[in-house]
Amino acid sequence: MKKKNWNLILGTVITSIMLLLIVVGFFFTPYDSQQMNIDLKLASPSLAHPLGCDHFGRDILSRVMEGAGTTFFVAIGTVLLGCVIGIIMGAVTGYFGGILDEILMRLNDALFAFPSILLALVFISLFGSGKYNVILALGIAFVPSFARIVRSEFLRCKSLDYVRAARLAGASHLRIMFVHILPNILPVLLSSLMIGFNNAVLAEASMSYLGIGVQPPDSSLGMMLSEAQTYLFRAPWYVLAPGVAIVLLILGFALLAESINKKK
Amino acid sequence: MKAILKKLITMIITLFIVSFLVFLAFSVIPGDPALSKLGTQATPEALEALREEMGLNEPFFTRYFTWIGSFFTGDMGTSYSYGIPVSELIMDKLPITLVLTGIALVIMMVFTVLLGIYAARHEGGIIDRILMVVNQIIMAVPAFFAGIIICFVFGLILKWFTPGAFVSYEKDFGGFVAYLIAPAVAIALPKCAMASKLLRSSLIEQGNMDYIRTAYSRGNTTKGVLYRHALRNAMIPVVTFWAMAYTDMIAGSVVIEQVFGIPGIGRILLTGISNRDYPVVMAIICLLALFIIVANTLVDLIYKWIDPRMRDNG
Repeated sequence: MKKKNWNLILGTVITSIMLLLIVVGFFFTPYDSQQMNIDLKLASPSLAHPLGCDHFGRDILSRVMEGAGTTFFVAIGTVLLGCVIGIIMGAVTGYFGGILDEILMRLNDALFAFPSILLALVFISLFGSGKYNVILALGIAFVPSFARIVRSEFLRCKSLDYVRAARLAGASHLRIMFVHILPNILPVLLSSLMIGFNNAVLAEASMSYLGIGVQPPDSSLGMMLSEAQTYLFRAPWYVLAPGVAIVLLILGFALLAESINKKK
Repeated sequence: MKAILKKLITMIITLFIVSFLVFLAFSVIPGDPALSKLGTQATPEALEALREEMGLNEPFFTRYFTWIGSFFTGDMGTSYSYGIPVSELIMDKLPITLVLTGIALVIMMVFTVLLGIYAARHEGGIIDRILMVVNQIIMAVPAFFAGIIICFVFGLILKWFTPGAFVSYEKDFGGFVAYLIAPAVAIALPKCAMASKLLRSSLIEQGNMDYIRTAYSRGNTTKGVLYRHALRNAMIPVVTFWAMAYTDMIAGSVVIEQVFGIPGIGRILLTGISNRDYPVVMAIICLLALFIIVANTLVDLIYKWIDPRMRDNG
């Protein structure tokens, strides 16, 4: 009997729920996420407000939906930026090798030893905070890890038969790199993309929690957590809502990444 | 011996690259440190004098080497916003971060080995399966959220400690260490989950190898085979992971200090970033990089000690 792939099933379910929440939140939230109502200050969960209200009486569910959207947007932007630059760097260095490879990889090693969040903090202190700066900072910080993976895959593939055949057929280097090799390394890239996405969610949440990430009026899960921490004793559900949203977002993609890895 | 020397040289080169990149990054940003120190009301003469005094008129490489030279003699420049030497600002905070990550490292190592071995020995059992699920969930919990929950459960409900009541290590070292245990657990938790999962699968993989069967056939007990043969080989990927986890924990401590109200390096770094106090930010980033690079080099050396095969080809 074939064993059911629980990782895949659970991962898909959790990710779909989160994506649904985010997509719906983009068009429609149960309440206006900025609308304050002092009567409902720190109201506990009820039928009208399933996740309760925050310290300004704003509906937490609406804010979580919107915040998850921001976090998702930043994470996707980061992964795309890091991945595109990383693929180009990794492809060029892995395929051609030589002195450029040496220099870029030494730089990469130096940066790779550095936790990406610290690197992002350096960039944030240079560019300033805000949604787009966070994407830029984290994106650059993520380049080394992608470049490293892509490079090693290109190194492995460049002497394989199908690449030689393509060379014989007269394909240009550019074509071999991006039309022949790149699709072949997609499975490896896909799972590292998902792991990268998770790291980006984590990094964005941490930075917004510290107050140097996404700035108001944009809402973000990390920012909600730092506001909620003040009311930990009076309104524990306030902390729980954004926290659980982060956990589910990460868990879903982690399970998916794991199921891809297992299949290989 | 030669391999060790080679490692040390690589380490020094990496240090130079990192410090150079940091210096470069903070030099190319627009903005004049002298102007931001004096304000826009300053006269051009005063500005010029201050620039000369701060050494801003020197060529780039001269400035870099002056900076890196004085960095190693302990002079890290003067903070723009506090007006006191950076070294004074961060030196007494350094032990806090070191002790915090140190405790977290010990917690991670102990629990990785305990849980990993237990799960591998009882592979497929009920506790192994529960551990797997719990690990999977814990891995998805960011350290700072874990910290908030620990604050709530152990601080506010069980009252094992008072969140925010940080004790300075100069006053009461025991109380200081005791307060750091909760945040250390928070940063160690996700790493612990990942590492014990890794050790489990690594041990199981080793268990299927020929040399293990040979060891059994020579009449060794399960325990003997596990601890003397399998564990040593299984630990190799785990040690690599520990090293990476430690660097992550150093970065994580910046965040977790904020959760537990610990006045460590992280807080100064954050105020430095929001005040654009570049000497402070540069010094802290370089110091943390120093830790990380030294830690990585140490791990490489430990590696060679665990795995004799690595000793010759360094």
